[in-house]
Amino acid sequence: MIPIENFLLLSALLFAIGFYGVLARRSAILILMSVELMLAAVTINFIAFAAYLDPEAFTGLIFALFVIAIAAAEVGLALGIVLRVFRERRSSMVDEASSLKW
Amino acid sequence: MQQRTALPPQFDRPIMLGGALVGAVATPLLVVLVALRVVGQISSPEVVFWLAFAVILAGALGTVLLSNVVHAALSLIFTLLGIAAIYLLLGQEFLALAQVLVYGGGVTILIVFGLMLTNAAEDPVVSDGAQKPFAFGVGILLALVFTVAFLGERWPAVGPAVISGAEFGERLFGDYTLAVLTVGVLLDIALSGALLIARPDAPEESAE
Repeated sequence: MIPIENFLLLSALLFAIGFYGVLARRSAILILMSVELMLAAVTINFIAFAAYLDPEAFTGLIFALFVIAIAAAEVGLALGIVLRVFRERRSSMVDEASSLKW
Repeated sequence: MQQRTALPPQFDRPIMLGGALVGAVATPLLVVLVALRVVGQISSPEVVFWLAFAVILAGALGTVLLSNVVHAALSLIFTLLGIAAIYLLLGQEFLALAQVLVYGGGVTILIVFGLMLTNAAEDPVVSDGAQKPFAFGVGILLALVFTVAFLGERWPAVGPAVISGAEFGERLFGDYTLAVLTVGVLLDIALSGALLIARPDAPEESAE
């Protein structure tokens, strides 16, 4: 039997790595990939808590499935936006698309 | 005898370096895990867990540290498939399969396509921002805070409940029907919106 602490440790480290990626990267697609890492870390937490602490209630598992589905939608939409920005500006770096920054 | 095509010489150094690095890290890990298993310190699921742990964190570090975007995307695949193994260890077979299908298949292909349709094809190497040291500090701090918070708590010593795909489906479509339909509509709207945003403006522009 694996103690739940192992999964929580994994999710904590994965979330921190993803957070570092979001802060440090310049390419929009790399930031998106780091966001995926953070979402995956949160999903591990949801499922670990649901499976260990309250398997009858099911809420964590359903929520994990929705996180997976909505992350897929988010990737599709974000890549559409990145393609659009790239076509307008010939660059997918977030610090070069700064027209909203006054 | 069939003559094999040699790899382009620019692949020599990364392949040798990466292989040596993976071997240098993976071999001691395997030896330690197998030794602990033989001695009886850890159970077989724990051996699998620590292997998946290493694959996930190595893939995640590759995703955020490699400067070549295509290498970073390939490294992300290892992380996402390792997470499917973690779901299996947690007893969730349906979610593990959904993870392999949605992430290992769909999301990865979408990301690689996105890379290829932007400037990754000509110039795959990107530099990180100047805020990198700050980001590093925040990442370390976050890891410390979460680790201390999670491991400082006393958790009940129970095992994970195994939930079969049939049971999952019954609960999902029985108790959460409205939520499933809402997510379906959301996916539809999001992907239609993505199509609308990404397509070229006027037909005469794209025709020429």
